[in-house]
Amino acid sequence: MPSQHHQQINTRKVSCQPRVGGFLVSFHAMASQCELLVDCDDQTLAQHLGKIAATEAWRIEDKYSRYQQNSVCGQLNRHAGKPCKIDQETLLLLNFAEQCYQLSDGLFDLTSGVLRKAWHFDGSDNVPNQTDVDALLPFIGWSKVNINKQLLEFTMLKSMEIDFGGIGKEYAVDRTVLLLSQWLSENLLAKANSNKTIPFLVNYGGDLAVNGARANNQAWQIGVERSGLNQTNTTMVTMREGAVATSGDAHRFLLKNGHRYSHVLNVKTGWPVENPPSAITVAAPKCIQAGFLATLALLQGKEAEQFLTEQDIKFWAIRPD
Amino acid sequence: MIKLFEHTKQVLVVTLVLITSLLSGCSSLGVEPWERDVLAKKEMALPTSAVDAALDDHIYFSKEASSGGRSFGGGGCGCN
Amino acid sequence: MQLIETTEQKQKQKTKPNLKGLLTTATCALLGTQAHAEVNTSDDKWRFDTAIMHYNEADRVTATEAIIAANKTYGNDEVLSLKLTIDALTGASANGAVAQPDAQTFTRPSGNGQYIVEGGETPLDNTFKDTRVQLTGQWTQPLSDVFTISAGGNFSKEYDYMSISGNTNLTRDFNQKNTTLSAGIAYAYDVIEPEGGIPKPFAEMVIAGFGSDEFDQAFADSRLTGDDSKATVDLLVGLTQVINRNMIVQMNYSYSSVRGYLTDPFKVLSVVDVNGYAQSYLHESRPDTRSKHAFYAQSKYHFGHSMLDTSYRYMTDDWEIDSHTFDVRYRVLFASGHYLEPHLRFYSQSAAEFYQPFLQQDDVLPMYASADYRIGELDTYTLGLQYGMPMDSGNSLSMRLEYYHQAPKSDGSASFGVLNDVELYEELDALIAQVTYSF
Repeated sequence: MPSQHHQQINTRKVSCQPRVGGFLVSFHAMASQCELLVDCDDQTLAQHLGKIAATEAWRIEDKYSRYQQNSVCGQLNRHAGKPCKIDQETLLLLNFAEQCYQLSDGLFDLTSGVLRKAWHFDGSDNVPNQTDVDALLPFIGWSKVNINKQLLEFTMLKSMEIDFGGIGKEYAVDRTVLLLSQWLSENLLAKANSNKTIPFLVNYGGDLAVNGARANNQAWQIGVERSGLNQTNTTMVTMREGAVATSGDAHRFLLKNGHRYSHVLNVKTGWPVENPPSAITVAAPKCIQAGFLATLALLQGKEAEQFLTEQDIKFWAIRPD
Repeated sequence: MIKLFEHTKQVLVVTLVLITSLLSGCSSLGVEPWERDVLAKKEMALPTSAVDAALDDHIYFSKEASSGGRSFGGGGCGCN
Repeated sequence: MQLIETTEQKQKQKTKPNLKGLLTTATCALLGTQAHAEVNTSDDKWRFDTAIMHYNEADRVTATEAIIAANKTYGNDEVLSLKLTIDALTGASANGAVAQPDAQTFTRPSGNGQYIVEGGETPLDNTFKDTRVQLTGQWTQPLSDVFTISAGGNFSKEYDYMSISGNTNLTRDFNQKNTTLSAGIAYAYDVIEPEGGIPKPFAEMVIAGFGSDEFDQAFADSRLTGDDSKATVDLLVGLTQVINRNMIVQMNYSYSSVRGYLTDPFKVLSVVDVNGYAQSYLHESRPDTRSKHAFYAQSKYHFGHSMLDTSYRYMTDDWEIDSHTFDVRYRVLFASGHYLEPHLRFYSQSAAEFYQPFLQQDDVLPMYASADYRIGELDTYTLGLQYGMPMDSGNSLSMRLEYYHQAPKSDGSASFGVLNDVELYEELDALIAQVTYSF
């Protein structure tokens, strides 16, 4: 894994190429292909916005990647068992994670990564035994962490691990939209004294958000995988506002004695959730909300679709055939 | 004396708030774009269900002397 | 401390918290943004609404109607809607004649048969059987930020009837889309081709000598042509206004003008003597124009866990029919996404000026007359209940059951003789059952 980190450092380049209606800025961050679509005819401006986006994506990657020893995440994990100083941004993220934990009745938990020690979803029949799983459960659970808001300190039990993977990329998308919108309103709109903004779309590895409709109120078109009767096809989704995020991975599972073990783990039991969709894409005002809702839906297993329908949330689900 | 004065001021403020809210309520019907969450619900659509409305229009068109009003409804049949 | 919070959370979970609302608050704290974030997405998949409805009148008409409606939203908010309707109708319908103490014999409108109605019974022609296929298409697209245009067509065909129509509608949004004005026009052309032809106005129903050449000749003489037509122009202007976060109202005015054959070729009037005994039956005759004005208002109010939908329509026309329609639906929304919706509808109309339940021998024939109770004074009400539930992947299922009651009323014309002993204004009950599945 550290080698992957070096590779990323080496490939920290931003490219900008023209496309119909504007420019496509691309770079690599957070183990994903990242894109910024900007609708303008000024390449220098598109490049500048791309630089703001990439800088923010890389900043968040460096700060919250669990693969980097010196990241905030790496430090929290190394100092597990002792109180750890945190900054304001980390406190806000941890608070958000705590609210997600409560909203999900304990199913959404940033400390669940420890289960990776027992589960390797490589398509094999390598299902762990109950003792291996049970041995890990004492080191999982948000109820075992403590956030001291006054002293800005975070404490969890020794051998526990925290992983921002569940919200990091979505957070980066929302932060990028925020920074780009701020920059545009301060530097362009204020000067030009107009309320017409420059439309853009931020796409970090399939988790994406837009700042509004394109010129003439045209919508952004995005492809979302969706299962048909017995095949998966791509649905064109149009978007004018808000964000979508996808959770799930059709290629990660275990198969033993004809039983399919999904990669979606229930933190309370340490075992896979039965019959979740292979992937679920959710639309929400903010990317981090969409990401949380998609993950929470997967955790409902076979009731995933019903769960989102009942909450009146727009989604597209794929189920294994 | 001071207390009485404060009380009067309070009443005045409350009355002003009431009048202002009434006035703004009348002069500016409607909501801001981000307040459309409730109106966006399925059950708030006009009509709630186009299929139900079409079936109703057909029944009442053939059973009563009035039709339409809501939209170009009913008709298109020699209903008896 | 943490443990207590978790338990509380569990209790909240049971009552299904507003996940979206709580999540918005959490996100605002994280991103430091305002709460007015929105999501606006749609996909290019076809959406289908399918419904099957069964309409059943005690002892009279039974109809089954199936609808498949499909609509698709394209990238720039263009909407294409297509609808196929098929309905099949069988049973008996009042022919307009009055009940008599003794049995009455009638000739079918086709001239191909006769039927006998027992004494004391409201005369019903029991040969109605028809299947209708209707195709509807509508295209809607924005013209600019505030203007939307829509155009559509409709074709409907049944054994003895054909209808073709087109419509167009323009809407304009004002005040951040809180106010919408719309104006539309529709034109329809209908052709009726009843088996046995179009009867001459006030021609006497030929009954005697059925099967003989004389009968056939007399029947042919009572007919005008094989078919006839009518043309309808509808104009509609409407205003939709958002009142507040929970309330929306709509108001429409519509004008409808029909020209052509507006008579019902299957309806007759009894000609009775001074003792109320039917001496003959004359085919009805209606004016060949009719213009209607309708005022319609609807409001919807959302209470959070329920929704109240009320509407009122006033219609008046130059046949002197005035009607009032009240409709109330109250939808109770359950946390599971299921809902229950009771429905109440009241309708009341006055009679057309030429409506009369029967003609009297020796009276001068009026210019127009019809004994069709549907243009007489009439009150009806509907009681209904709908139950709906969400299904997997955003699909939904709903069922409704409605009871419809019609109470025709006397136009004030005094009955006499044997007519006092029979029911001239028979009430009618119908049950409507419907299942809808949307996917």
